[in-house]
Amino acid sequence: MTRRLRLALLVPSLLGLGALFAWSITGLPRFGDYRGPYGYVLNQIVVPLRHSTNVVMGTTFDVRGVDTMGEEFILYAAVLGVTLLLRDEAGGGRVERRTRRLRSDAVRLVGVVLIGGGLLVGLWLVAFGYITPGGGFPGGVVLAGAILVLYLIGSHRDYRPFRNEHVLDPLEGIGAGGYVVTGLAALVSGMPFLTNLFGYGQTGTLASAGSIGILNGAAGIAVTVALLLLFAEFLQTYVVPLEPEDAAS
Amino acid sequence: MTWIPPLLVAIPLLGAVFAAGLDHITPTVVQDALVVAASAATTAFAFLLLWHAENHEVVHWFGGWQTRHGVALGIDFAVGPLAAGMCAVIGIVVTLALLYSLTFLREAARLFDALMLVALAAMCGFAMSGDLFNLFVWLELMGVAAYALTGFTVERLGPVQGAVNYAITNGVGGYLFAIGIALLYARTGALNLAQIGNTLSHGPAGGLVIFAMTLLFCGLLIKGAVVPFHLWAADAYAVAPSPVCAVLGGVMTDIGLIGVARLYWTVFDAPFGHGHAVGDVLLWLGLVTAVLAGVMAFLQRHLKRMLAYSVLCHIGIMLAGIGLLDSAGLAGAELMFLAHALLTAGLFFVAGILHVDHTRIDELHLHGLGRGCWVPAAAWLAGTIGLIGTPYIGIYLGHGLIDEGANHVGRPWVIGLLWLGSALAGAALLRAGARIFLGWGDADDPLLGEPLEEDPRERRVIRPLLVGVAVTAVVLGVAVSLVPGLGQRAEYAADRFRDRSGYAARVLRDRPMAPPQSLPVTIRHTSFESLLYGGGATIFAIGLAGIGLYRRRLPHSVAVAAGRTLAPPISVLRGLHSGVVGDYVTWVAVGTAVTGGVWALLLHG
Repeated sequence: MTRRLRLALLVPSLLGLGALFAWSITGLPRFGDYRGPYGYVLNQIVVPLRHSTNVVMGTTFDVRGVDTMGEEFILYAAVLGVTLLLRDEAGGGRVERRTRRLRSDAVRLVGVVLIGGGLLVGLWLVAFGYITPGGGFPGGVVLAGAILVLYLIGSHRDYRPFRNEHVLDPLEGIGAGGYVVTGLAALVSGMPFLTNLFGYGQTGTLASAGSIGILNGAAGIAVTVALLLLFAEFLQTYVVPLEPEDAAS
Repeated sequence: MTWIPPLLVAIPLLGAVFAAGLDHITPTVVQDALVVAASAATTAFAFLLLWHAENHEVVHWFGGWQTRHGVALGIDFAVGPLAAGMCAVIGIVVTLALLYSLTFLREAARLFDALMLVALAAMCGFAMSGDLFNLFVWLELMGVAAYALTGFTVERLGPVQGAVNYAITNGVGGYLFAIGIALLYARTGALNLAQIGNTLSHGPAGGLVIFAMTLLFCGLLIKGAVVPFHLWAADAYAVAPSPVCAVLGGVMTDIGLIGVARLYWTVFDAPFGHGHAVGDVLLWLGLVTAVLAGVMAFLQRHLKRMLAYSVLCHIGIMLAGIGLLDSAGLAGAELMFLAHALLTAGLFFVAGILHVDHTRIDELHLHGLGRGCWVPAAAWLAGTIGLIGTPYIGIYLGHGLIDEGANHVGRPWVIGLLWLGSALAGAALLRAGARIFLGWGDADDPLLGEPLEEDPRERRVIRPLLVGVAVTAVVLGVAVSLVPGLGQRAEYAADRFRDRSGYAARVLRDRPMAPPQSLPVTIRHTSFESLLYGGGATIFAIGLAGIGLYRRRLPHSVAVAAGRTLAPPISVLRGLHSGVVGDYVTWVAVGTAVTGGVWALLLHG
């Protein structure tokens, strides 16, 4: 198709879709006029029934826990896919880009602060996910981001432990598989898949919410390691190792 | 037996985790055994589930979040015989594909196996889920796995383009689906399908529900590669490895249609079930797909592209069967899915064997090279005959049931068009088979266009394993129409699937279902009309294949006249399948806008 023909087809279609969309929006309830029972019921039951003060986590990791399992595996499959597509067979076709050891102390200082702060915030987000806003998904992203700063202020050699696939692959398996195994544990005990098995504990403390905590931890590991695996693949594909004089300095 | 449904998702996911996570540790043999065992166990549990689902819907509430006063809180898998049967077919095809790939794909085998198992879990979850958002999760999961598998041979440009076209077009589909979910949730405040249906059965539907239905259905039809949303399919199939094609073409593309059927009979039947407008649009989309894809199949020389269009043709017939909104039509679509999945997988496996033997996948390049390979030749012929629907072979029983459905609802004129579609696609496959395995016909034919790039790699394979897997798939597929009692059970399953209030009562109120009267175990016979149509389609396909082979021997005047009339539409058709992803998205927008506009006109008021 020529560009003109494509536009001639696309513009009227989009206008039509826009008109239909506008028409459908008139059928929405007014702002603040929430129709369904679902949200109200969840707000009322999660804290008393599961002792988790973060209703969002109670919803995503317990009431709708199997959705979250699927989403965790979307990330997992995406990382497997990237690994598959960026696998290095012939060794050719790399983008050559030299990296040097950073020489500015100021940047290095900021980096160290970022790493320390990032790790703390990440761990807090994961660990307290079912008490205060947070959780395994955002916490995992922050953790992986903090670790990546090490690459920024250090060198290939400093970062090497965090791109070792022999360690990362099994860890990723523990994160993703841990979710499924927790679900299966309930099934083996004669209850539905992903039933919250363990005691719900004291509301508002770390020892609360039962298996929500375990699933949250599994998601935290899975997300952190998934991102590290992604970084490792990208670094391997786009960055060539240091030249000897850089490595020596 | 409510513990079985989650296993169909959990087993393959755990298998995938073990395969990928322990890549560097366990020996290859253990890994191979583990992967095949996970897939085979999933299939076995699916059959067990099928057996238990015959008396009542097996409902599993995840996390033990049962309904409270008829309000669904958690997520459920609600499995009837149709969904369980789907899972069983999916399991068989994926297991065969994994066996086939044991020697076919050596490098990056672990990642490949893990992604195949993830796709298996996602397809089973999609077939069983009773929750709108949960459907979306499985849809996206299978998409992500499939994009990566399509681009498997990434060192060449073609697979990357095919995978990118696939990912972008289906990504747009996912986006449409997500907006549809948001609109319906805002209107009903529910995500459980049965509950949305119950809420929508009170009061007028209005524009919101019409547009939400358009978005949800168009999202699924992109997945299901229905014209005009189909353009990505041939690009993706042409470049994927054969075992991936078998899964994509055999089960993963068709699953979009099951989503359409599921959403219609749990949700949209409530507001729109009194008329026939929804069904008629689906019927027309199916008819156009069947005929257009049949023609496109005949114009291909690349075997995988040809098979891709053959798949689309059968998807069109199945969508027409669903669009009849009749039990016989839906039962026909079910049985067609069963036979078509196995036969298509078998034919892709044979194409893979040809590629291993000769490193070629082009019909004209392979001219006469298959002489003497009698087993693959027989498998190709049997698979092709089964896909045409020759009486009592392969898809025939399903096609016959769709004929009955069309007569029930007073649309007998669709029958001829649907048979024409499968005859056209069958003619292409017959022509290719005769040219490759018998060396008939000319070695060159400008009608079929330019050759595509050939994949040059050589592999060391255990050839008997490949042949064995291919023959198994074809034999199972051919036998479908002759299995005693299968037709009657498919009709019963379709009746159950269409019973919206029964489903809602079972899911939301845990009401028992009336057990079926004893179903007979005899071969289901079709009408005499279907027999004639099936026979006619076979003869037509053989004749057309002959013309394709010996076009040059036609009388000169006939050839010139045919060339004059057919050349312009053929070049337009080829031009539309441009391989440019911008065009594909444009057609998605056009298709969605037209579908939505037609429904808005027909359903409003």
